[in-house]
Amino acid sequence: MNAILEATGVTMQFGGLTALNDVSFGLSEGEIIGLIGPNGAGKTTLFNCLTGLYAPTAGQVGLRGITLPVDPARVTQQGVARTFQNIRLFPSMTAEENVLVGRHVRMKQNPLSSLLHGPGFRRSEADAAEHTAKLLAFVGLTKFSDELARNLPYGDQRRLEIARALATEPSVLLLDEPTAGMNAQETEATRQLIFAIRDLGISVVVIEHDTKFIFTLCDRVLVLVQGELLVEGTPDEVRGDPRVVEAYLGAPPDEVDAQIHAAEETR
Amino acid sequence: MTTTLEKAPAPTPEPRGRLAPVAPYASALQIAGGALTLIGALLPWATFVLNEGPYPEKATLEFFTAPLAVTGFRLHLVLFGIAAIVLSLVTVPARGRMLQGLGWGVVAVTLANTLYLVAEGGGLGTITAADGAVAFGPIVALVGGALIVLGGSARRREDKPVWAWRSNRYVEWAILLVTYVLLLLLVAAVLTSGGQGTAANVYSGAVFLSFLGAVGGLLAALQASGLLTWIAAVSERHRLFSVVVLLFVALALPLTQAGTEYWMTVAANIGVYAATAIGLNIVVGLAGLLDLGYVAFLGIGAFVAANLSGAAAAQFDIEVPFPLVMVISAVVAGTFGAVVGSPTLRVRGDYLAIVTLAFGEIFVRSSQNNIGGFTGGSNAIPGIPPVSAFGNDFNDELIIGSVELPRGALYYVLIVLIVAAVMLVFGNLKNSRLGRAWIAIREDEDAARAMGIRTGPVKILAFMIGATIAGFAGAFFAHKTGTVSYESFKFLESVTLLAAVILGGMGTIPGAVLGASILFVLPEKLREFADYRLLLFGIALILIMRFRPQGLVPDSHRRAELAPDSGVPPTPGTAAKAAAS
Repeated sequence: MNAILEATGVTMQFGGLTALNDVSFGLSEGEIIGLIGPNGAGKTTLFNCLTGLYAPTAGQVGLRGITLPVDPARVTQQGVARTFQNIRLFPSMTAEENVLVGRHVRMKQNPLSSLLHGPGFRRSEADAAEHTAKLLAFVGLTKFSDELARNLPYGDQRRLEIARALATEPSVLLLDEPTAGMNAQETEATRQLIFAIRDLGISVVVIEHDTKFIFTLCDRVLVLVQGELLVEGTPDEVRGDPRVVEAYLGAPPDEVDAQIHAAEETR
Repeated sequence: MTTTLEKAPAPTPEPRGRLAPVAPYASALQIAGGALTLIGALLPWATFVLNEGPYPEKATLEFFTAPLAVTGFRLHLVLFGIAAIVLSLVTVPARGRMLQGLGWGVVAVTLANTLYLVAEGGGLGTITAADGAVAFGPIVALVGGALIVLGGSARRREDKPVWAWRSNRYVEWAILLVTYVLLLLLVAAVLTSGGQGTAANVYSGAVFLSFLGAVGGLLAALQASGLLTWIAAVSERHRLFSVVVLLFVALALPLTQAGTEYWMTVAANIGVYAATAIGLNIVVGLAGLLDLGYVAFLGIGAFVAANLSGAAAAQFDIEVPFPLVMVISAVVAGTFGAVVGSPTLRVRGDYLAIVTLAFGEIFVRSSQNNIGGFTGGSNAIPGIPPVSAFGNDFNDELIIGSVELPRGALYYVLIVLIVAAVMLVFGNLKNSRLGRAWIAIREDEDAARAMGIRTGPVKILAFMIGATIAGFAGAFFAHKTGTVSYESFKFLESVTLLAAVILGGMGTIPGAVLGASILFVLPEKLREFADYRLLLFGIALILIMRFRPQGLVPDSHRRAELAPDSGVPPTPGTAAKAAAS
């Protein structure tokens, strides 16, 4: 298997607390991986290590065999984009401008041409605008193009965040709970969107609590429990694995879904 | 009657509820208000001649002695009163709102004069009855204004009319041209109203405030009528034409009544601060980095220019041409900007404010102590030669054909061009990759980094460009004033600049210029209030921030953010869902 994104022995300690312990996995080209685990298992911490927001205490992350730097901006430049668990759009920018910011790393403008708005500048702006329009159409937000991000309906904000991440032309997209707070229809729409993204040739890692969503979406599922990678396998393997059931919930397999939903609702 | 006044301030959307009982009498109230305003304007305003002589526009005038000699604020009140009566008889869209604007104008004009008379005259006797003389003008006018507001508010809520009228290009150009010329005359009138505020005219502050109230009321009424919005839309359609004409109109100020040496100096100073405020607007308005020591860069530019053009350079027989001086000053200031900007990589928010505050203090203290001998310490650096071109000093008067430009007009022209250039820089940068990166950092720094923005260099660039602009303005400032002293760059100046940016509207060009104009004209105009100057200043700031938090000329985005009634409301329940996730 030829991994495009590869984490080897990633360990993250905050003071005495070990948030991640020796986590290793590989993401193949065009693959969708699901990352599940109870709250506090270290899923988002792993994302932060993958995107250079945190410097892992030990271990490293490589993209196409090259070790990624500990700098979110440069990681994005090299082709790993992400969304956030609690939506982090630029609220007082329009949907279009949000996506344009995502184009930042793929645009060339020197300060002088920005200052004078010369022909080179205009070409790059027109280029970015075209790309942005395409992406907004891709996620179905063309009608909200000039609307402030803060005014968008919740589900559309999530979609806009994905469009913004896609604007950086990533080869790997990390989605942190993309369907949190969504109803069944919106969740389904998101599933289709992620498939469409995969069809663009982008590999995807998804964190999600909704196991039904994960098991029907992903090619492979990783289960993270207390900072350790407990099980790795296809959805069927993971679903049936007694260790997952025990560690995750301590309940029989057929009740997993029900209990997770119950837990979600009380949360 | 005071209770009416308290009830009247209802610019809130639905005045109908509380004001329902008076709604049927709206027209009657307005006519009564208009009539009272008229009568008030013609009654005497003071019972005796003040110590400094008759109050402006002969406020002690008796109604019957000289009914036609109505000028100044009384003329404004007469016109407002007539307008109110006409508006209540003629059906025009949104007249309720227009009347509210007029009414508030009447109240503002009356209050400005009343308070001054009461304070100067030593009590309410000045405006009511004393020593057998009666003068109920202010009170009657105040009641009239309140009634107009009340009547206007009691009308059914009307939407602001939208004017869709279009014409061919040349007609619209002509309309715009007329509008801009009127704007120029208005600016000149506001600038010169009340006179120079020296011993010769002790009433200038009150006259100015009163005039400002009248202008405010008029603009509010015009805004309510939808005219201003329409003009804005037309000028947006002819953007290039507008920019060019506005530039020429700005350059034409010396030809108006403001064309004296004194007003040219005031206008040039405003220009310096406007340019500086636009620079600060990059740092604060776009990149969201709170800078409390920004005026130091203006100072650095000024001191560098002072050394290059003044005695220090003359010692070594160096004569640096003015354009080069400006560039060097700007570069030096920009370099310091980068130095001050570098801590921003590590500190955010409040801590950054403290760092910049400290830098500002370091600058003031060092220049006060003449560190390195560059600043002249408390002696300042005097004798900086004026800018000259073609053998003509910029502070001389200039005669071209039959047109005689006052002293200082050339400096004014130069600063207008500088401000225009700075505006161009700001506008172009704002709509570029760099500008978007700044705004993204302001909105959410972590998300910006996750989008591949190298926040460090981008933030330093904001500081650097802002400082460069200030340095540029500083070089002009040094040559204009001829003397550069550390006292011009104290903390208060930084605060005032920051207030100008926030007051005018963060992230916009007209906002920064308007803010700078207001904040640097007010102190000039309110001199006679000496001790209360800063108090009035502060009250004005508080009022504007309370009633218009988005600033006077808000960014289109920020307007949507802070204005109560715009934008698509988020679908119900999303907030709750977001909180739950």
